[in-house]
Amino acid sequence: MNTDPNAVRDLFASHYFIFAFLASLGTLQIAVSNSGIRGLWLTPHRGMTRWLGVALIITGIVIFFLQPMWVEGPWAAGSVEADSITREIGTASWSELAGARNVNDIHGGLDGNKQAKWFPLAAILAFAVSALIGTVNVKTLRNLELSSPSDSPTAAATPATDDGLAGLTNRPYLANLPISFRNFKADIPKVWRTGLDSADRWSLFKMIFGRNSN
Amino acid sequence: MNTLDTNLVIWLNGLSGNIKFFDDLMRIIASDYLMPLVFSLAMLGLWFLGKTPTQRVRYQIQMLIGISALALSNVVVWLININWDRPRPFVDHGDELNLLFYPPTDPSFPANPVAVGFAVAMAAWVVNRKFGWWMFAVATLFGLSRLYAGVFYPTDIIGGAVVGIAVYGFTSYFRRFLEPVVTSFVRLMRGLSAA
Repeated sequence: MNTDPNAVRDLFASHYFIFAFLASLGTLQIAVSNSGIRGLWLTPHRGMTRWLGVALIITGIVIFFLQPMWVEGPWAAGSVEADSITREIGTASWSELAGARNVNDIHGGLDGNKQAKWFPLAAILAFAVSALIGTVNVKTLRNLELSSPSDSPTAAATPATDDGLAGLTNRPYLANLPISFRNFKADIPKVWRTGLDSADRWSLFKMIFGRNSN
Repeated sequence: MNTLDTNLVIWLNGLSGNIKFFDDLMRIIASDYLMPLVFSLAMLGLWFLGKTPTQRVRYQIQMLIGISALALSNVVVWLININWDRPRPFVDHGDELNLLFYPPTDPSFPANPVAVGFAVAMAAWVVNRKFGWWMFAVATLFGLSRLYAGVFYPTDIIGGAVVGIAVYGFTSYFRRFLEPVVTSFVRLMRGLSAA
């Protein structure tokens, strides 16, 4: 390996983050289009949101595995063999592309722990982007509702008890957050008490806080 | 048993080198990034997939169990590794294998990627049979690709699957010791409009 593993690791981390972000955003779109959570849709239409999700996942995979063709890294043409210790820095050739990303973590590849650090960050960013664009979508759908009330999917008013993801069905994220948090503050003592009462007798918390919360 | 194990890996790995496209496909599937990301995405999808609040809570608790089982599988594999350092197939039979993957330096048994995949697949299977079977197929394919690449024995794959399923069972059972914290955490996420 004719390069610093830390430099290779940084390169892998940035590439992996983009890969994980695009794939997370795509997965999120497929899931929320299926469950009807409009406040997180990237487009105003269910079908389009779902297909956009599929496209984002494919784009993430394609970019990640094709990147060695135009980004210099430990995959120079002619040096990509099974053993990552013989790698040279450069761009990969088409014929060696499939093996380019197979770099041992001791030579700069990302191990499971590093991936476990980057993936949640990418997923949180994907959620934030969805919430931001979803806000615009919900507002667009509301405008549609004003012009043709019967056709709009947001025609039914969202009950104040609907919070969390259920509230995002027809409400933008920032409008839903205070309602959700208010309900959480009102509910949590009851959730804790009920949970403690119904918890298994081996629950550590039941042992600590008493078998009968009353 | 060892002979059968060796013969199987030599036979399967012997299929490589004939069709370049297939070898390349296996290299990509065997990579450290694609399938582990698929497992993570499955858990992410599970969090948002429920159609009703009740179903959503069930899915989200399963997701938390799945993620915990995934992490715990790594610990169990590490514990087995420090007690039994089984050499990789390319170490014992290097001259008979065409290595398609970098030579890992950790012990062969059990297959860590398969353990992780099966732990996640179990979590998915418990709440959605169809989705769960797909995840089992993905985890098995991941194991087979590593077998084809010459870095695992078949018994490593089976061992990994058993570890993954057992760890999921333990984690699922262990949840009872942590209630009502798990349910309250999901409720907190709902308060933040993320569950």
